[in-house]
Amino acid sequence: MMLNQFLLLAAALFCIGVYGVLTRRNGVLVLMSVELILNAVNINLVAFGAFQDNVMGDVFAVFVIAVAAAEVGVGLAMVLLMYRNRKSIDFSEVDLMKG
Amino acid sequence: MIGTFLAQASNSLTSAEFDIPENIAFAIIAGLMLFSAIKTVTTGNVMHAALYLVIVLAGVAAIFILLGSDFVGATQIMVYIGAVIVLFLFGIMLTKASLGDDDSVEDERRTMGAIVGVLLLVVMGYALIDTFSNEELVFGEPEQVVYVVTESTVGDLPGPVVEALPRLAGFADDDVVTISEAEFDSLVPEVQRRVPGAEVFGNTKQIADSIFGQYIVPFEAISVLLLAALIGAVVVARKE
Repeated sequence: MMLNQFLLLAAALFCIGVYGVLTRRNGVLVLMSVELILNAVNINLVAFGAFQDNVMGDVFAVFVIAVAAAEVGVGLAMVLLMYRNRKSIDFSEVDLMKG
Repeated sequence: MIGTFLAQASNSLTSAEFDIPENIAFAIIAGLMLFSAIKTVTTGNVMHAALYLVIVLAGVAAIFILLGSDFVGATQIMVYIGAVIVLFLFGIMLTKASLGDDDSVEDERRTMGAIVGVLLLVVMGYALIDTFSNEELVFGEPEQVVYVVTESTVGDLPGPVVEALPRLAGFADDDVVTISEAEFDSLVPEVQRRVPGAEVFGNTKQIADSIFGQYIVPFEAISVLLLAALIGAVVVARKE
Protein backbone atom coordinates (compact mmCIF):
# COMPACT_ATOMS: atom_id res chain seq x y z
CA MET A 1 0.00 0.00 0.00
CA MET A 2 1.10 3.50 -0.69
CA LEU A 3 1.17 6.15 2.00
CA ASN A 4 -0.58 8.59 -0.28
CA GLN A 5 -3.84 6.70 -0.56
CA PHE A 6 -4.44 7.13 3.16
CA LEU A 7 -3.44 10.78 3.10
CA LEU A 8 -5.72 11.53 0.16
CA LEU A 9 -8.62 9.72 1.80
CA ALA A 10 -8.04 11.79 4.95
CA ALA A 11 -7.89 14.98 2.88
CA ALA A 12 -11.19 14.13 1.21
CA LEU A 13 -12.83 13.39 4.57
CA PHE A 14 -11.45 16.67 5.93
CA CYS A 15 -12.88 18.67 3.05
CA ILE A 16 -16.27 16.97 3.37
CA GLY A 17 -16.23 17.89 7.06
CA VAL A 18 -15.36 21.50 6.24
CA TYR A 19 -18.24 21.60 3.76
CA GLY A 20 -20.56 20.27 6.47
CA VAL A 21 -19.42 22.84 9.02
CA LEU A 22 -19.91 25.66 6.52
CA THR A 23 -23.32 24.62 5.22
CA ARG A 24 -25.14 23.01 8.14
CA ARG A 25 -27.27 25.14 10.44
CA ASN A 26 -28.45 22.41 12.81
CA GLY A 27 -26.06 22.43 15.79
CA VAL A 28 -25.90 18.65 16.13
CA LEU A 29 -25.05 18.28 12.44
CA VAL A 30 -22.26 20.87 12.77
CA LEU A 31 -20.79 18.81 15.60
CA MET A 32 -21.00 15.69 13.42
CA SER A 33 -19.04 17.48 10.70
CA VAL A 34 -16.39 18.43 13.26
CA GLU A 35 -16.13 14.73 14.10
CA LEU A 36 -15.46 14.01 10.42
CA ILE A 37 -12.58 16.52 10.48
CA LEU A 38 -11.08 15.03 13.65
CA ASN A 39 -11.26 11.52 12.18
CA ALA A 40 -9.46 12.71 9.06
CA VAL A 41 -6.66 14.02 11.28
CA ASN A 42 -6.55 10.68 13.10
CA ILE A 43 -6.13 8.79 9.83
CA ASN A 44 -3.19 11.04 9.00
CA LEU A 45 -1.58 10.46 12.40
CA VAL A 46 -1.90 6.68 12.24
CA ALA A 47 -0.76 6.53 8.61
CA PHE A 48 2.37 8.53 9.33
CA GLY A 49 2.98 6.43 12.43
CA ALA A 50 2.82 3.26 10.34
CA PHE A 51 5.00 4.87 7.68
CA GLN A 52 7.73 5.78 10.16
CA ASP A 53 7.26 2.47 11.99
CA ASN A 54 6.83 3.93 15.44
CA VAL A 55 3.88 4.28 17.78
CA MET A 56 3.89 8.05 18.24
CA GLY A 57 1.13 8.46 15.67
CA ASP A 58 -1.02 5.89 17.44
CA VAL A 59 -0.47 7.52 20.83
CA PHE A 60 -1.47 10.94 19.55
CA ALA A 61 -4.47 9.43 17.75
CA VAL A 62 -5.65 8.02 21.09
CA PHE A 63 -5.20 11.45 22.64
CA VAL A 64 -7.17 13.07 19.82
CA ILE A 65 -9.97 10.53 20.33
CA ALA A 66 -10.12 11.44 24.04
CA VAL A 67 -10.20 15.17 23.30
CA ALA A 68 -12.88 14.63 20.65
CA ALA A 69 -15.05 12.75 23.15
CA ALA A 70 -14.72 15.62 25.63
CA GLU A 71 -15.50 18.12 22.88
CA VAL A 72 -18.67 16.29 21.88
CA GLY A 73 -19.84 16.18 25.49
CA VAL A 74 -19.40 19.89 26.09
CA GLY A 75 -20.65 20.83 22.62
CA LEU A 76 -23.85 18.84 22.96
CA ALA A 77 -24.41 20.32 26.42
CA MET A 78 -24.16 23.78 24.86
CA VAL A 79 -26.55 22.78 22.07
CA LEU A 80 -29.02 21.51 24.68
CA LEU A 81 -28.73 24.78 26.61
CA MET A 82 -29.33 26.70 23.41
CA TYR A 83 -32.38 24.59 22.63
CA ARG A 84 -33.77 25.13 26.14
CA ASN A 85 -33.35 28.91 25.96
CA ARG A 86 -34.39 29.54 22.37
CA LYS A 87 -36.39 26.47 21.31
CA SER A 88 -34.10 26.23 18.30
CA ILE A 89 -30.65 24.88 17.54
CA ASP A 90 -30.15 26.87 14.36
CA PHE A 91 -26.61 28.21 14.53
CA SER A 92 -27.41 31.04 12.13
CA GLU A 93 -29.80 32.48 14.70
CA VAL A 94 -27.05 32.83 17.28
CA ASP A 95 -26.08 36.33 16.28
CA LEU A 96 -26.28 38.33 19.51
CA MET A 97 -22.68 39.42 19.09
CA LYS A 98 -23.11 40.31 15.43
CA GLY A 99 -21.95 43.87 14.78
CA MET B 1 -5.09 -18.96 -15.33
CA ILE B 2 -5.77 -15.76 -13.52
CA GLY B 3 -3.67 -17.01 -10.66
CA THR B 4 -0.66 -17.59 -12.86
CA PHE B 5 -1.12 -14.18 -14.43
CA LEU B 6 -1.23 -12.57 -11.03
CA ALA B 7 1.80 -14.55 -9.97
CA GLN B 8 3.72 -13.37 -13.01
CA ALA B 9 2.59 -9.81 -12.47
CA SER B 10 3.61 -9.95 -8.85
CA ASN B 11 6.99 -11.26 -9.90
CA SER B 12 7.54 -8.21 -12.07
CA LEU B 13 6.56 -5.88 -9.28
CA THR B 14 7.82 -5.70 -5.76
CA SER B 15 5.54 -7.20 -3.18
CA ALA B 16 4.87 -3.85 -1.54
CA GLU B 17 3.54 -2.44 -4.80
CA PHE B 18 1.24 -5.34 -5.44
CA ASP B 19 -0.44 -6.34 -2.24
CA ILE B 20 -3.83 -6.93 -3.86
CA PRO B 21 -6.04 -7.93 -0.90
CA GLU B 22 -5.09 -4.92 1.16
CA ASN B 23 -5.66 -2.55 -1.73
CA ILE B 24 -9.03 -4.11 -2.55
CA ALA B 25 -10.05 -3.80 1.10
CA PHE B 26 -8.85 -0.22 1.13
CA ALA B 27 -10.80 0.63 -2.02
CA ILE B 28 -14.03 -0.84 -0.65
CA ILE B 29 -13.63 0.84 2.74
CA ALA B 30 -12.63 4.18 1.26
CA GLY B 31 -15.49 4.23 -1.21
CA LEU B 32 -18.00 3.39 1.47
CA MET B 33 -16.52 6.03 3.78
CA LEU B 34 -16.56 8.79 1.19
CA PHE B 35 -20.12 7.99 0.13
CA SER B 36 -21.31 7.91 3.74
CA ALA B 37 -19.43 11.09 4.63
CA ILE B 38 -21.02 12.97 1.74
CA LYS B 39 -24.43 11.64 2.75
CA THR B 40 -23.72 12.72 6.34
CA VAL B 41 -23.24 16.34 5.36
CA THR B 42 -25.94 16.48 2.69
CA THR B 43 -28.86 14.35 3.88
CA GLY B 44 -31.87 16.22 5.13
CA ASN B 45 -32.83 13.78 7.86
CA VAL B 46 -30.83 14.32 11.05
CA MET B 47 -31.24 10.73 12.19
CA HIS B 48 -30.00 9.42 8.85
CA ALA B 49 -26.97 11.70 9.16
CA ALA B 50 -26.10 10.09 12.49
CA LEU B 51 -26.45 6.61 11.02
CA TYR B 52 -24.27 7.50 8.03
CA LEU B 53 -21.73 8.89 10.50
CA VAL B 54 -21.61 5.42 12.12
CA ILE B 55 -20.50 3.96 8.78
CA VAL B 56 -17.78 6.59 8.42
CA LEU B 57 -16.48 5.99 11.95
CA ALA B 58 -16.48 2.21 11.45
CA GLY B 59 -14.60 2.73 8.20
CA VAL B 60 -12.01 4.81 10.01
CA ALA B 61 -11.61 1.98 12.52
CA ALA B 62 -11.15 -0.47 9.63
CA ILE B 63 -8.51 1.82 8.12
CA PHE B 64 -6.68 1.83 11.45
CA ILE B 65 -6.69 -1.95 11.56
CA LEU B 66 -5.54 -2.04 7.93
CA LEU B 67 -2.62 0.14 9.00
CA GLY B 68 -1.71 -2.36 11.72
CA SER B 69 -2.94 -0.24 14.63
CA ASP B 70 -5.43 -2.60 16.16
CA PHE B 71 -5.50 -0.82 19.52
CA VAL B 72 -6.46 2.53 17.98
CA GLY B 73 -9.09 0.77 15.88
CA ALA B 74 -10.64 -0.86 18.94
CA THR B 75 -10.54 2.44 20.79
CA GLN B 76 -12.20 4.13 17.83
CA ILE B 77 -15.03 1.60 17.85
CA MET B 78 -15.55 1.76 21.59
CA VAL B 79 -15.30 5.52 22.02
CA TYR B 80 -16.92 6.75 18.83
CA ILE B 81 -19.49 4.15 17.91
CA GLY B 82 -20.11 3.18 21.50
CA ALA B 83 -20.21 6.56 23.20
CA VAL B 84 -20.10 9.52 20.85
CA ILE B 85 -22.84 8.27 18.55
CA VAL B 86 -25.06 7.59 21.56
CA LEU B 87 -24.41 11.17 22.69
CA PHE B 88 -25.36 12.41 19.24
CA LEU B 89 -28.57 10.39 19.28
CA PHE B 90 -29.39 11.81 22.70
CA GLY B 91 -28.70 15.30 21.37
CA ILE B 92 -30.96 14.72 18.37
CA MET B 93 -33.79 13.35 20.46
CA LEU B 94 -33.57 15.94 23.23
CA THR B 95 -33.69 18.74 20.68
CA LYS B 96 -36.68 17.19 19.04
CA ALA B 97 -37.57 20.31 17.11
CA SER B 98 -35.12 19.27 14.43
CA LEU B 99 -35.80 15.57 14.16
CA GLY B 100 -37.28 16.05 10.73
CA ASP B 101 -35.67 17.56 7.70
CA ASP B 102 -32.93 20.13 7.81
CA ASP B 103 -33.79 21.62 4.46
CA SER B 104 -33.40 25.24 5.43
CA VAL B 105 -29.93 25.66 3.97
CA GLU B 106 -29.84 28.31 1.29
CA ASP B 107 -28.36 27.52 -2.08
CA GLU B 108 -25.86 30.36 -1.79
CA ARG B 109 -24.41 28.86 1.36
CA ARG B 110 -24.19 25.42 -0.24
CA THR B 111 -22.39 26.87 -3.22
CA MET B 112 -19.86 28.72 -1.09
CA GLY B 113 -19.27 25.64 1.06
CA ALA B 114 -18.75 23.47 -2.01
CA ILE B 115 -16.31 25.96 -3.51
CA VAL B 116 -14.29 26.14 -0.29
CA GLY B 117 -14.27 22.37 0.13
CA VAL B 118 -13.24 21.63 -3.45
CA LEU B 119 -10.52 24.30 -3.42
CA LEU B 120 -9.18 22.92 -0.14
CA LEU B 121 -9.18 19.39 -1.56
CA VAL B 122 -7.39 20.50 -4.72
CA VAL B 123 -4.67 22.33 -2.78
CA MET B 124 -4.13 19.52 -0.28
CA GLY B 125 -4.31 16.83 -2.95
CA TYR B 126 -1.74 18.60 -5.11
CA ALA B 127 0.59 19.05 -2.13
CA LEU B 128 0.22 15.40 -1.08
CA ILE B 129 0.71 13.97 -4.57
CA ASP B 130 3.65 16.29 -5.15
CA THR B 131 5.32 15.30 -1.89
CA PHE B 132 4.44 11.71 -1.03
CA SER B 133 3.74 10.02 -4.35
CA ASN B 134 6.63 7.58 -4.01
CA GLU B 135 6.31 6.60 -0.36
CA GLU B 136 5.30 3.03 0.35
CA LEU B 137 4.03 1.47 3.51
CA VAL B 138 5.89 -1.74 4.29
CA PHE B 139 4.49 -4.03 6.96
CA GLY B 140 5.65 -7.18 8.60
CA GLU B 141 8.95 -7.54 6.76
CA PRO B 142 11.16 -9.39 9.22
CA GLU B 143 14.30 -7.37 9.39
CA GLN B 144 17.48 -9.29 8.72
CA VAL B 145 19.70 -8.83 11.73
CA VAL B 146 23.32 -9.28 10.77
CA TYR B 147 25.95 -9.01 13.43
CA VAL B 148 29.38 -8.14 12.19
CA VAL B 149 31.63 -9.24 14.98
CA THR B 150 35.13 -7.95 15.38
CA GLU B 151 37.25 -7.88 18.45
CA SER B 152 36.25 -4.31 19.20
CA THR B 153 32.51 -4.96 18.92
CA VAL B 154 32.38 -8.16 20.91
CA GLY B 155 31.54 -6.14 24.00
CA ASP B 156 28.37 -4.82 22.34
CA LEU B 157 26.88 -8.28 21.96
CA PRO B 158 24.61 -9.89 24.54
CA GLY B 159 26.45 -12.00 27.07
CA PRO B 160 25.29 -15.45 25.94
CA VAL B 161 26.41 -14.67 22.41
CA VAL B 162 29.89 -13.79 23.56
CA GLU B 163 30.07 -17.02 25.49
CA ALA B 164 29.05 -18.97 22.42
CA LEU B 165 31.29 -17.11 20.01
CA PRO B 166 34.47 -19.17 20.34
CA ARG B 167 32.48 -22.13 19.11
CA LEU B 168 32.19 -20.43 15.73
CA ALA B 169 34.56 -21.96 13.25
CA GLY B 170 37.48 -19.82 12.31
CA PHE B 171 36.96 -17.07 14.80
CA ALA B 172 40.26 -15.53 15.74
CA ASP B 173 41.07 -12.22 17.29
CA ASP B 174 41.22 -10.16 14.12
CA ASP B 175 38.70 -12.07 12.05
CA VAL B 176 35.39 -10.60 11.05
CA VAL B 177 32.60 -13.09 11.60
CA THR B 178 29.22 -12.37 10.07
CA ILE B 179 26.31 -14.01 11.82
CA SER B 180 22.95 -14.01 10.11
CA GLU B 181 19.77 -14.00 12.12
CA ALA B 182 19.16 -17.72 11.57
CA GLU B 183 22.66 -18.54 12.72
CA PHE B 184 22.17 -16.28 15.69
CA ASP B 185 18.98 -18.07 16.65
CA SER B 186 20.56 -21.49 16.30
CA LEU B 187 23.61 -20.29 18.16
CA VAL B 188 21.88 -19.02 21.26
CA PRO B 189 18.29 -20.19 21.29
CA GLU B 190 17.87 -19.10 24.87
CA VAL B 191 18.62 -15.47 24.08
CA GLN B 192 15.39 -13.50 23.97
CA ARG B 193 16.33 -10.74 21.62
CA ARG B 194 12.80 -9.80 20.80
CA VAL B 195 10.30 -8.43 23.21
CA PRO B 196 8.00 -11.31 24.16
CA GLY B 197 4.75 -10.97 22.24
CA ALA B 198 6.20 -8.55 19.72
CA GLU B 199 5.57 -11.00 16.89
CA VAL B 200 1.85 -10.86 17.58
CA PHE B 201 -0.06 -8.65 15.17
CA GLY B 202 -0.49 -5.12 16.40
CA ASN B 203 1.39 -2.73 18.58
CA THR B 204 -0.67 -2.49 21.73
CA LYS B 205 2.28 -3.20 23.98
CA GLN B 206 4.41 -0.46 22.47
CA ILE B 207 1.52 2.00 22.73
CA ALA B 208 1.11 1.15 26.41
CA ASP B 209 4.84 1.60 26.97
CA SER B 210 4.73 5.00 25.26
CA ILE B 211 1.61 6.30 26.97
CA PHE B 212 2.71 5.31 30.44
CA GLY B 213 6.34 6.18 29.88
CA GLN B 214 7.31 8.92 27.51
CA TYR B 215 3.86 10.52 27.29
CA ILE B 216 2.76 10.22 30.90
CA VAL B 217 2.34 14.00 31.31
CA PRO B 218 0.03 14.43 28.30
CA PHE B 219 -1.87 11.38 29.53
CA GLU B 220 -2.47 13.00 32.91
CA ALA B 221 -3.41 16.25 31.20
CA ILE B 222 -5.98 14.32 29.14
CA SER B 223 -7.45 12.84 32.31
CA VAL B 224 -7.79 16.31 33.84
CA LEU B 225 -9.35 17.55 30.61
CA LEU B 226 -11.90 14.74 30.66
CA LEU B 227 -12.80 15.56 34.26
CA ALA B 228 -13.16 19.24 33.38
CA ALA B 229 -15.33 18.38 30.38
CA LEU B 230 -17.51 16.12 32.52
CA ILE B 231 -18.08 18.79 35.14
CA GLY B 232 -18.47 21.48 32.50
CA ALA B 233 -21.08 19.53 30.57
CA VAL B 234 -23.09 18.93 33.74
CA VAL B 235 -22.84 22.59 34.77
CA VAL B 236 -23.79 23.89 31.33
CA ALA B 237 -26.69 21.53 30.70
CA ARG B 238 -28.34 21.30 34.12
CA LYS B 239 -31.62 23.01 34.82
CA GLU B 240 -31.49 25.93 37.22
